[in-house]
Amino acid sequence: MKIAAIRVAILILLLGAWEIVGRTANPLLYVPPSAAVPALGRLLALDSYPDLAQHLLLTLREILVAYALAIGAGLGCGFALGFNRLVGRAYGPILAALYAVPAVVWYPSLMLFFGLDAASKIAFGFLLGFFPITLAVLAGIRQVSPQLLVVARAFGADGLTAFRKVTLPAMLFTLVGGLRTGLALTVVGVIVGEVLGSRSGMGSLINHAYGLFRTADYIALVAVTLVLIVGSDAIAGLIEHRAQRWTE
Amino acid sequence: MSELIRVEGVSKRYVTSSGPVDALRDVSLSVGAGEFCTLLGPSGCGKSTLLGILGGLVAADVGRAVVDGRPVTAPDPRRVATVFQDPGLFPWRTTLQNVEFGLELQGVPAQRRRRVATDLLGPLGLRDFEAKYPRELSGGMRQRVAIGRALAIDAPIVLMDEPFGALDEQTRLLMGEWLLDIWRRTRKTVVFVTHSLHEALALSTRVVVMTARPGRIKSLLELPMPYPRAMDSAELVALRSKLWGDIRDESLRAMGEGNA
Repeated sequence: MKIAAIRVAILILLLGAWEIVGRTANPLLYVPPSAAVPALGRLLALDSYPDLAQHLLLTLREILVAYALAIGAGLGCGFALGFNRLVGRAYGPILAALYAVPAVVWYPSLMLFFGLDAASKIAFGFLLGFFPITLAVLAGIRQVSPQLLVVARAFGADGLTAFRKVTLPAMLFTLVGGLRTGLALTVVGVIVGEVLGSRSGMGSLINHAYGLFRTADYIALVAVTLVLIVGSDAIAGLIEHRAQRWTE
Repeated sequence: MSELIRVEGVSKRYVTSSGPVDALRDVSLSVGAGEFCTLLGPSGCGKSTLLGILGGLVAADVGRAVVDGRPVTAPDPRRVATVFQDPGLFPWRTTLQNVEFGLELQGVPAQRRRRVATDLLGPLGLRDFEAKYPRELSGGMRQRVAIGRALAIDAPIVLMDEPFGALDEQTRLLMGEWLLDIWRRTRKTVVFVTHSLHEALALSTRVVVMTARPGRIKSLLELPMPYPRAMDSAELVALRSKLWGDIRDESLRAMGEGNA
């Protein structure tokens, strides 16, 4: 209760400060909440951007495809490296080093390779989501207690059974954490890709409004995008919480 | 008593970073059905290795173990159940689910394995804890869950590797009494590893004293007296000092080696 009250207070304080700064600053560059809210109304009424739904759907579709690819490749790569000690030791450090590189440096080449449309956004979202998932699988496999695997073997488990009954549940929490991070970064990748260069999707609308100094519309578009991001992370958080309750 | 376990000239050497270690050298042993056979010896005398070989978890370099007439090559939960020193419970499983684990691997239908596990909770003293997770249980309870998991598969042989080693003295004594009761009711053949003289004398029908590196059998002691045993009787006090005499040299040697 107390925390909720503090959160509301912080929100009111920030909005208040924003209102004051927005009113005194250049109206072309800064928009107070009192102007942003009507803009949000116009946006949702499909007034300012009539094809909002198409763009939103496209972005969602790009995110889903990129995330599915990131999960598939991340799990595949992670388990292949994690269960093969030699390969894992050869490639693990390379993977970690690549993860440390700011991914945005790859984006120009992705655009050259995949073009301006959805494919390059999917590729970028995939690239960002792939690493945390792969690294989470590797970390998860490392944290499985060897003792528990011996117990499974003593009770007659073969390799596959031990994986299903011991390895997977033991690493589940770490794995789900990685999947959550992967989702967040995939969303970031897709939207950043759209902002950096595209003709459709939420990022392109944001870029459009921003470029034309339609700052109030820009804020409204950002707000809608935020709901998308926070919403997807909240769902992932719920799943993570369930996994935590189950494994601990 | 018919022979159930036979160890034939088993040797095992581990290669460690500080050189090879002779865990077992030419160990031969026979255990009859229904026996409570205790392997007693200082740390590092290969007791656990011998148990691992009997359970099919460790391969002998030389010699072999024969269980129920068949040479041991891999774990066989239909004949041998194992209890480890670290209880090794699955933290994401409740007491009941942990006890059911072995039956689950054997493909026993859910309803039947639930019944077997539930029936065991009473004797395990865990009836009110069936839905608890290992982290919610005390050390003694956890080890009882691990023993329950071993008993649930109803193998004729139970191997126990210092199951009470991590427990405090009082819990340890109570768990010993409890185990004795379980053993006498189920008539399992138990091979029990410990370094506690008290445990060996209170529980065993036979004590096998092992030497430190290389692990060899130093002496055998038959304990035909009935249970529960009065540990302060003249007979047991005398046996205790005899056992202590046997094991003291070995412990000293093990200590000396540790210091070197």
